[in-house]
Formats: sequence, structure tokens, C-alpha cells
Amino acid sequence: MESDASEVLDLARLQFALTAGGHFLFVALTLGLVTVVACLQTKATFGGGELDARLVRFWGQLYVVNYAVGIVTGIVMEFQFGLSWSGLTHHAGNVLGATLAVETIVAFFVESTFLGLWIFGWNRMGRWAHLAAIWIVTLTAYASAYWILVSNGFLNNPVGHRVEDGRVVLADPAAVLTNPSALLAFGHVLAGALLTAGFFMAAVSAYHLFRRTPEWVFFGRSLRVGVFLAFPAAVVTAVLGGLQMASIAVLQPVKSAVFRHDTAELARLQAELTARFGPGDYIPSEAWTRGGALVMLIAFALMLYLTLAGFVLAFFRNAVFRFRVWHVALIAAVPLPYLAMIGGWVFREAGRQPWVVYGLLRTEDAVSDLSPAAMRFSLVVFTTLFAALVVLNAWLLGRHARRGPGDVALGRDERADADTDPRDGPPVGPADALPAPRY
Amino acid sequence: MPSVETLAVALLGFYATGYFVLAGADIGTGMVAPYLGRTDRERRLVIASFAPFLLGNEVWLVATAGVFVGCFPVLEGELLTGQFAVVVPLLAGWVVRDAGLWLRGRVTGRAGRGWRAGCDGAVVCGSWTVALAWGWLLAGVLGGTPGRVATGAVAVVTSVAVAALFAAHGLGFAAARLTGPPYERARRLVGRTRAGGSFALTAVLMAAVPVAAGTALPLAGAAADGATLGLLVPALLVVTPLLVAVQAGTWWVFRHRVTGPSYL
Repeated sequence: MESDASEVLDLARLQFALTAGGHFLFVALTLGLVTVVACLQTKATFGGGELDARLVRFWGQLYVVNYAVGIVTGIVMEFQFGLSWSGLTHHAGNVLGATLAVETIVAFFVESTFLGLWIFGWNRMGRWAHLAAIWIVTLTAYASAYWILVSNGFLNNPVGHRVEDGRVVLADPAAVLTNPSALLAFGHVLAGALLTAGFFMAAVSAYHLFRRTPEWVFFGRSLRVGVFLAFPAAVVTAVLGGLQMASIAVLQPVKSAVFRHDTAELARLQAELTARFGPGDYIPSEAWTRGGALVMLIAFALMLYLTLAGFVLAFFRNAVFRFRVWHVALIAAVPLPYLAMIGGWVFREAGRQPWVVYGLLRTEDAVSDLSPAAMRFSLVVFTTLFAALVVLNAWLLGRHARRGPGDVALGRDERADADTDPRDGPPVGPADALPAPRY
Repeated sequence: MPSVETLAVALLGFYATGYFVLAGADIGTGMVAPYLGRTDRERRLVIASFAPFLLGNEVWLVATAGVFVGCFPVLEGELLTGQFAVVVPLLAGWVVRDAGLWLRGRVTGRAGRGWRAGCDGAVVCGSWTVALAWGWLLAGVLGGTPGRVATGAVAVVTSVAVAALFAAHGLGFAAARLTGPPYERARRLVGRTRAGGSFALTAVLMAAVPVAAGTALPLAGAAADGATLGLLVPALLVVTPLLVAVQAGTWWVFRHRVTGPSYL
């Protein structure tokens, strides 16, 4: 039944890659956009005008749509470990399980509860409490990303443990929490998320300015926020990416050699690892590892030029409102941060193969003992659902972005439309006609 | 002074109970939504009854899974892999239901009628799938075969019984939260108990479900290594009262019966 085992392994890997990658697409925008929304709301609360309040609601609505679809993909992620990779919980559960547990309870639990308060408590809570809610959501979202990268950092660079009876035991918690593989990745992903949000804001704004919609003041401001955010975020992402490359050369020499296409070094490492761990193929797929890194670097180079030019252009009022070529470039650039994110992630994870926990546990030894039929069934179920969710999310984000700030349900005063539900009647009137939000 | 393993079991039980009592209410309400709400607007009101709590409710299961994998990693892997055929539909139902709830109100106007009807279908089908899958999973755990999916009449009867309990819990919740025609319909089925009386009764029954499952699981001796538990359990014990306080605050803010639609 050798072929069955290898089929299950391939299917389980494909399923994990698709669910984690699908989830990551949502997270990238969520994490960046929530920061922007929290900052916008801070300005609106500290004596901002009507425009500030409308900015919070419009960008907040896009954030909530993206978050809601992202959260359901995250739920599937959490259960993937136990479902398909019970070998991982069996061998490394003492470290990996604990970090996942802390993520769910200390970070995600708080984030979800406060997000519910923020969305539904818009006209019920005091404005300071409401502002505190979005900041708690933002900070716990960061905490969540940190704990997930501590878990992932342990897979890439297992530290702070010892092995007893073939199982990992926690030895030095501080080392696990300050793992360079986790900290550098955390900063890199966070800056990448802000970059994604900056590109997204700039593109939506550029669309409205290009179409010359009536909301030019609104989107002029938004475009500037997006562009001024994207440039520093790109620089920080690049710096932390460079530091990670240097760290990989030490911690994961095989990944580094595959990236540099250094065949002599690879032959030497293969011989060294064979001597240490027994016969086997210790070189990850060059197509995925090197390919992922190149996609990331090319997308990144394009973004860097675009954000640098944008950073200068955004200082000129005429360029912001009339430079239509720039508007088109910004709209076309929306996929770039996503390509870079996915490329970098493929590089990180494909490059660690054949290990699931680097140097400790092979991927083939971590997969659950399941039949190929069961694995195929769940792959079809989850892939169909995720593909549908990605398409729906893109369609809804596009729809709400195109409609602009005149038709935003988030933060609408429920008391105003309790009697006349606009859904049953003709198209919704501008939300601005309703009582002004309490900022 | 109870041992750290006992405290880990208590934490697992606490979060699982929280999930069944709290999320059980919104899942149950989703199951009976077509009965309670006959028009688009009425169904939106039904959803508004639990909308502010939705995120806060389902996160109890995320936390349960977190405590499970953190404190009992080997057992978590064995249970999920053994119950693969049940857990996959459970998760799929959860995803479909949540997507329906979150996306329902995002397409407005006449053009969105079909969209909202489709989302309502997703909410109802997803809610029933989740409830039935829980019953099926419990049939395996309570039948003493957590590593194998339950089959036969026992599985069918347990699934239907647990799903009926979810629905009854949802009806009680709806009777305590709604107004207008949906309230009248919930009231008709719940009977003339005092407001919240039926909900309190089903809440006790819902709480008994994970407790029974916990006693059937081989939790003793399955806990993670002492070095892990020694850090994890105290940390979780410190955080848990804060989480409960925050959720209690949410329920207080939205304690009044709903009379109008909300964001969803």
C-alpha cells in the first residue's frame, strides 16, 4: 500500500497549501486594513469632521466584508492540524499545541468578541468605548499573527525544546517566543499586510478618481493615505526580508542554496544530511522554492518603483486628481502584494521540505493515517468552498468599492431604518442623509 | 490543590460548555429561521436576534479546539483523524452557515432578493449540518469509539436527538430575544413558560452534552507534558475570567429584545 500512503501525503499537502494559502490572502488585507481603520477612527474621534467619519465607515465596511470571509477560512485551518497532520500533534504537540492554544484564547477570542462589539455597537456605545474596541481588535489581530508565526517559526527553526522518547518537550519557553525565525517573519508579514492595504486603498481611490465620480475629495484623501502608507511599508518589508535571507543562510542552508541555485553546495549538503539522518532526498523542490522566491522578488521590485514614484506624485494635488496613467497603474497593481505574499510564503514553506519540523520530523511521518478516498473527499469539499469564498469576496469587495461611500451599511443608525427597510423598497438612498454618526 | 491535569480538563470542559450553550443558541435559531421568519424582512430580524453575539459565540469552539490541542495534543489528533468523516461536514456546514450570515445583507435592493434567499438557504442548511454532525460525533464519543465514526441506528437516533435539542434551544433563545410575528411563532412552539424559562432548561441540557462527552473521552493520562501544562494552564486560568467578563459585557450591551434589523 506504498502508493496509497504517498497519494494521501500529496493530497494532504495540496489541501493544506490551498487552505493556508487561501486563508493568507484574506489575512494580508485584514491585518493592514484594520490598522488603517483604527487610525482613521482615532482621527475622527479626536474632533475630526464629517469626512473622517465617512472614511471610517467606508473602509471599515470593506474591512468587515474581507474579515468575515477570512474568518471562516481560518476556522478550517485550525482543524487541519488534527485532521490531516495528527503526526505533527503527536510528535510536536507539546510546543505547537501550546502556541496554537494561546493564539486562540489570548488573541483570537478577544479579537472576535470586540469586533462584534465594534460592528454592532456603532450607535449604541460611547464614541471612546467604540474607538477602544477597534484598537483592541487591531492589537489582538497583531498578537494573533505573532502567535501563529511563533508556531510556524518553530516548524522552520525548532528551538527551546528537547526530544524525549521521540517526542518534543518544551525546555526553554523564552527561546520559543523569541525565535528569530518567528520575530523576523512577524515584522515582515505585518509590514507586508500594511503594504497590501496601502495598495488596496490606492487602487479603489484611483478607480473613483479615474472615473471622475462625485466623491473626489473623499478619494483624493484616501489615495494619499494609501500611497503614503505603502512606501514606508514597502521599505520595512524589504529590510526585514533581507534580514530573513541572511538568517536563512545560517538556519536553513538547504533552502538558501536552492534559492541561489548553488549545485555544488547542494551536493555537499545532501551528503552531509544523508550522513546525519540516513538515506533520503533532502533537497526541496527547486521549482517551488526558487519559483516562489522569484515571484516575490519581481512583484516586490515592481511595487517598490511604483510606491517610490507614488510617494513623490502624491504631494502634487494635480497628479492626485488628474494623472490618469498613474490611476490606471494603481488599479492594475492590486494583485502585486498578493503575488508577493503568496510567493514568499511558498518559498518559506516549500523550501523547508522534506521536513515539517526542520531536522526533527519529516512531512511524510506527520500525515494522518487516512484513506486516499477520505483525503480526496475533504480536498474537494474544502477547495470548492474556498474557491467560492475567494470569488465571492473579490466580487463583493469590488461591488462595495465601486459603489463608494454613499451606500455603506456599516455604522448606519439602525433606529433610523427600523420602520422603513430600504431592502424592500427602491434602491438605498445615500447613508449621509441619515443622522450623522456620533463623532 | 487540584493537579494541573485536572485543571486542564476543567478548562476544556468550560470552553466546550460555553460553545454548546452560547453558539448552540444561534445555530438553533438558524435551524428554525424559515419557520420564524416568513418574509425577507422577518428573517433579517431573526438573524438580528443573535448577530452581535455570533462572533463571540463561535469563538468558544475555536478556544475549545485550542485548549484541546494545547493540553491534549495527541488525543486531539487521534479524535479528529478518527472522526474525519464527521468533522469535515461539520466544518463545511460551519463555513457555509457563516458565509450565508455575513454575506446576506451585503447585496441590497431588488436585485439582491435572489442573493438573500440563497444566503438564507445556506444559513439553514449549514445550521442543520452542524447540529447533525455534532450529534453524529457525540454518538461516536459516547459510544466509546472516539477513534471510529459511529454507524447504525444509534448514530441516526443520537444525531436527530442532538439536532432537536439545538433547535429547541434556538427557539427558546428566539422567544427571549425577538418581537413581532417571529416572536409570536417562537412563543407558540415554546409554550407558555415564563420568558427565558425554556431557554434556561435547554441551556442546562446543552451544557450536559459536552460534560457527558468529556467523561467518555480518555482524557486522564492523555495530557501534554508537564513543562507545557505548567505554563499553559495558569496562563489560560488568568485570562479566562477576563474573557468571560468581556463577553458578559457584550450580552449586557445588546440585552434588549430586537425590534429592527442590524448590520447582517
